[in-house]
Amino acid sequence: MSSAAQASPSPQPLPVSGARLVVEALEREGVKHVFGYPGGAIMPVYDALTGSSLQHILVRHEQAAALAADAYGRVTGRPGVCLATSGPGATNLVTGIANAFLDSVPMVAITGQVGSPLMGTDAFQEVDIFGITLPIVKHSFIIRNTADIPRIFAEAFRIASSGRPGPVLIDLPKDVGVLTANPEPFELPDEPAAPLDEASIALANALIAEAKAPVIYFGGGVAIARAERALRDLAQRMGVPSVSTLKGLGCIPSDEPNYLGMLGMHGARAANIAIDNCDLLICVGARFDDRATGKLDSFAARAKVIHIDGDAAEIGKLRVPEVGLAGDVSSILGRLTAVPKIADWAQQCRAQRKMWAPRYDAPGQGIYAPALLKELSEAAGDKAIFTCDVGQHQMWVAQHCQFSRPQAHLTSGGLGTMGYGVPAGMGAVLAEPDATVITVSGDGSFMMNVQELATLRRYRLPLKIVLIDNSQLGMVRQWQELFFEENFSEIDLSDNPDFSEVAHSFGIEAFTIDHRSQVGPAIQRLLRTSGPILLHVRIDPRENVWPLVPPNSSNVQMMEKGW
Amino acid sequence: MTERLTVEFTPAEGAVIRVLGVVERRGYVLRGLSMKEKADTASLVIDVEPREASRRVPVLAQQLARLVDVRSVSLAARDAGSLA
Repeated sequence: MSSAAQASPSPQPLPVSGARLVVEALEREGVKHVFGYPGGAIMPVYDALTGSSLQHILVRHEQAAALAADAYGRVTGRPGVCLATSGPGATNLVTGIANAFLDSVPMVAITGQVGSPLMGTDAFQEVDIFGITLPIVKHSFIIRNTADIPRIFAEAFRIASSGRPGPVLIDLPKDVGVLTANPEPFELPDEPAAPLDEASIALANALIAEAKAPVIYFGGGVAIARAERALRDLAQRMGVPSVSTLKGLGCIPSDEPNYLGMLGMHGARAANIAIDNCDLLICVGARFDDRATGKLDSFAARAKVIHIDGDAAEIGKLRVPEVGLAGDVSSILGRLTAVPKIADWAQQCRAQRKMWAPRYDAPGQGIYAPALLKELSEAAGDKAIFTCDVGQHQMWVAQHCQFSRPQAHLTSGGLGTMGYGVPAGMGAVLAEPDATVITVSGDGSFMMNVQELATLRRYRLPLKIVLIDNSQLGMVRQWQELFFEENFSEIDLSDNPDFSEVAHSFGIEAFTIDHRSQVGPAIQRLLRTSGPILLHVRIDPRENVWPLVPPNSSNVQMMEKGW
Repeated sequence: MTERLTVEFTPAEGAVIRVLGVVERRGYVLRGLSMKEKADTASLVIDVEPREASRRVPVLAQQLARLVDVRSVSLAARDAGSLA
């Protein structure tokens, strides 16, 4: 090398294509898996993916990409990433984005867009996905300049996972991905934490100290804030009975003596009774959702309320509390140090839990799904992650499986997305490869993303699917039976395909059971199989989910099963 | 009763639609609107009326405040009709 060459200034880095900048930004964020489906406008990014460190999971429908990314985000706590082209590719992501929004899940959704000069001209595969998704994203970007790509991606990942997490959409016009740029270095500003309100902390402690019958009512906001440990410490320190929402399950282990179970429409009677009788409701990361509260004005009607949440906008939205505490949930819980004298109340709640424990001695020889799920949960142990679809089976999982961590129960709580289960199972398997991941589905839900069996097969994802088949849209049928005078309308699915044969045709091991004596061996086979497997379970179509709070009723007006 | 909110925000793409969308989706009727922009900041003054009595405008203010582009939201009770 000549001395002249040694003395020359370092050369300007070569400009990089926008698509390459996208891939580098994802790598910089520590992304390992991207769920997606290619198409015209996103092709530059797919071109840049080859040779990167990212593993792309090619789904068979973009909705599954978004739902898998959702589950991935729930398990890891980092944004799951999904990728689709413009037009129908982007609109197919919408349900998954909405699912993540309603359940506050960190996600970054990347959509291709037609070239900038064509935007607004109704070009081929052009839709305004930015506009379509405005109500269901935490934030969104259209990238107008290639040089902005690194900064926007860094912002998107931070927004998706900070505070109350949520999905962030990045729309990338095709030309922005093709053009090259030398982006300037950037820094994201710090986000200072708001100080705690000391007066409110003191008032909360005073209310706790004087309470005679307090209950902790916790929800998904605890897991979002990664505040499970602080919640468990609080519950143990105070000896206060606790109840969970659907999304809070696992934040306090199911076998904790003072834990009374899920509350609400299909909740445990002991949980609903405790809420009805309490004089202080300590709401942690829950939002007074109608499925949890029943008729709102009769929910904990005699109680004062302390509402703790990471999101200030939840406080006072549906119930005005005596004390509202917004901020870091763990820090707030750590400051609640008062201990009430409530031994009799706690004992009374434990007695109610014992009295109203579920029964599993259903008559007949057919398979009783709650008993199967209880046995499966016990056999699978603490390493299991359950993903659910939506319907009766979803409630049975919530009622009868045991959870010792919130990431072990992935369910579409807010949006109630049929079709969530299998894609969520895919995402969970990739997010936590050492876990035993089990999807519990119903015959209605399963058919909504059945094509993803091909994805399971392609990547040999060891997902265990338990398909509970009543040949009906069971939850709709139950409501028609109970509240629509048995006018059964469009719930018959008796022409379902043979689900074992369907799985076989995708190259997946599968088998069917329909008798109680087959349950134990079936669970053993399911759990010891190393690859993907489907257990098809035929149950009585007349089976209902019990207990049930009828619509517009107080939570203590629960209907129970007849045996 | 109509109430007035002043929303200071960064005028990024979609910011105005985002603010107005939250107002309508959260159950309020938009009764008045004006906007000013200077340099890298903008402000919207909006008059809103809840569609039902149970909706509380302070909660709407919090829902607006959590939008990424919004810097601050302030609330002042007022009579309708004076937004010029």
